[in-house]
Amino acid sequence: MTEKLNVFAVRTLTQKEYFAPGHRACQGCAEVLAVRLVAKALGRNVIVSNATGCMEIVSSPLPFTSWRVPWFHVAFENTAAVASGIEAGLKVLMRKGRIPRKKIVSLAMAGDGGTADIGLQALSGALERGHDFIYICTDNEAYMNTGIQRSSSTPFGASTTTSPAGKVQIGQITWKKNMAAIAAAHNIPYVATACPSYPIDLVQKVKKAAEIEGPAYIHILSVCPTGWRSAPELSIKLGRLAAETGVFPLYEVDHGKYRLSIDFPKLKPVKEYIKLQGRFRHLTDDMIEQIEKRIRKEYEELKEKAAKGARDDSNRG
Amino acid sequence: MIPFMIDGQPVEGKEGGNVLEVALDAGIEIPHLCYNESVRPYGACRLCLVEVSRRGRTRLTTACTYPVLEGIEVYTQTEKVLRARRMIIELILAMCPGDQLIQDMAREMGVHAVRFKQEDKDCILCGLCSRICEEVVGAHAIQFAFRGDRREMIPPFLGEAMNCIACGACVVACPVDVIKMKEEGDERTIVRWKRTLKMKQCKVCGNYFAPWFQLEKFRDQAKLQKDFFDVCYTCRT
Ligand SMILES: Cc1ncc(C[n+]2csc(CCOP(=O)(O)OP(=O)(O)O)c2C)c(N)n1
Ligand code: SF4
Ligand code: SF4
Ligand code: FES
Ligand SMILES: [Mg+2]
Repeated sequence: MTEKLNVFAVRTLTQKEYFAPGHRACQGCAEVLAVRLVAKALGRNVIVSNATGCMEIVSSPLPFTSWRVPWFHVAFENTAAVASGIEAGLKVLMRKGRIPRKKIVSLAMAGDGGTADIGLQALSGALERGHDFIYICTDNEAYMNTGIQRSSSTPFGASTTTSPAGKVQIGQITWKKNMAAIAAAHNIPYVATACPSYPIDLVQKVKKAAEIEGPAYIHILSVCPTGWRSAPELSIKLGRLAAETGVFPLYEVDHGKYRLSIDFPKLKPVKEYIKLQGRFRHLTDDMIEQIEKRIRKEYEELKEKAAKGARDDSNRG
Repeated sequence: MIPFMIDGQPVEGKEGGNVLEVALDAGIEIPHLCYNESVRPYGACRLCLVEVSRRGRTRLTTACTYPVLEGIEVYTQTEKVLRARRMIIELILAMCPGDQLIQDMAREMGVHAVRFKQEDKDCILCGLCSRICEEVVGAHAIQFAFRGDRREMIPPFLGEAMNCIACGACVVACPVDVIKMKEEGDERTIVRWKRTLKMKQCKVCGNYFAPWFQLEKFRDQAKLQKDFFDVCYTCRT
């Protein structure tokens, strides 16, 4: 219910920055904004395992770092494995009395390439083993750090350097992998989608993930002006449009129960989102219609699940 | 920066700062409920009690209201502190037995049974909502009513909080999450303050994006032209 809150509500969040400014992210990068908000939400008692990718590169140009909390740069494949190990290690050290008992969050974070493609096996294992940790995927819909290569999270129709739009194909010819659904299929206690254009919602979801015992997965859509060929000053707006058009619905799956964070009575035309991005410039109205159809269908399916969640709630009284 | 000690560890705080904030920054956990950096410390919940030694005298005091002073020695884990903390959380739990956060905190501090008469309140009287509403929002919509053990945080005269702009700042800040907000159709309600406001519809997309009353207030304060809020934040630009 807090998604629309802005102005004053954000000023009740901590003014402390655990992710320092001065990093090397591009102008208008919403991924780094997401990371800053995640860091704010978790505070000081967190240990981060961060896969290679933009967020790792921009935050740690030797000898500098943006991280004011313990942070590991890990390989692509093993982010969730390292985070599992940290959680298990902390548990043992506390049990043996080697460190004082207190809540320390083990946070794994990776981009969409690091999550939906390369780190998926380790992630699935960690979710299935039930480690008490948070996994955050900052999804900018391609391998951005190495120069915009497609991932399985790149949306249909987007032009990237490895799915170029031209005479032969229309850009990405596969549909975006639904990572949140894959995480939810592990029957973990908490899955959510978020976007830094909705800062209070994002922070509250991360806090909830930290409180809940067991694995939590949060998928954060992160507008990337460089890779999406969009104007840097439009990043926040694009994030909002993603939600308002139904392209990236904001929802939670809390112990198996779906809940839409915002249910727009009327979705905006997908074209409004698409037309602001150069990566979709080549799409014809027909193709956009095809995309919209699919997005509407997926949105309806999601609404159905959320309605079921609400029904179950009221039945239980 | 002003140097002092917490639990034998050298720390530094800035002039005008408080002991709680320095401790938390240094990773030293002190439980607290009524502290929020955005507003002035208030010392309502008493949970952040610590022992402070200054010029040879030691006393129990709340860390959130104790100023950073050169050379003081702060202790957060003495037997006296832990005992006082347990007593306080037990009292809060007796007042609000249903609050999840309070139950969890009590359990962590080793309080498993409550020896006092139990009430069935949910508000822990931390005063954060009203301080935020006053100092951050400037709406002055809610205040404590009555005194002593009859003290309550309620909308004025238990009616609708007529100054409330339904910004939700208090909803987000309440440590025990008992201020609920609802949105249905073209109305937003802050349930606890009995405040229901009509939402404004964006001229372009048709979504309801913020309460009329709130937008009119902003427009008035910032002297914006009449149609400034006709479109929502997304459709603007
Ligand atoms: C095993 C391995 N393969 C390839 C690379 C090169 N590499 C570094 S960052 C990166 C892109 C990461 O993409 P993503 O995970 O989506 O994060 P983003 O940069 O988009 O935030 C690649 C391919 C690497 N570091 N390690
Ligand atoms: S919602 Fe109302 S009571 Fe709460 S902070 Fe805003 S104006 Fe004040
Ligand atoms: S309603 Fe919440 S914020 Fe307000 S005094 Fe009670 S506990 Fe504190
Ligand atoms: S936090 Fe210090 S008295 Fe409540
Ligand atoms: Mg990426």
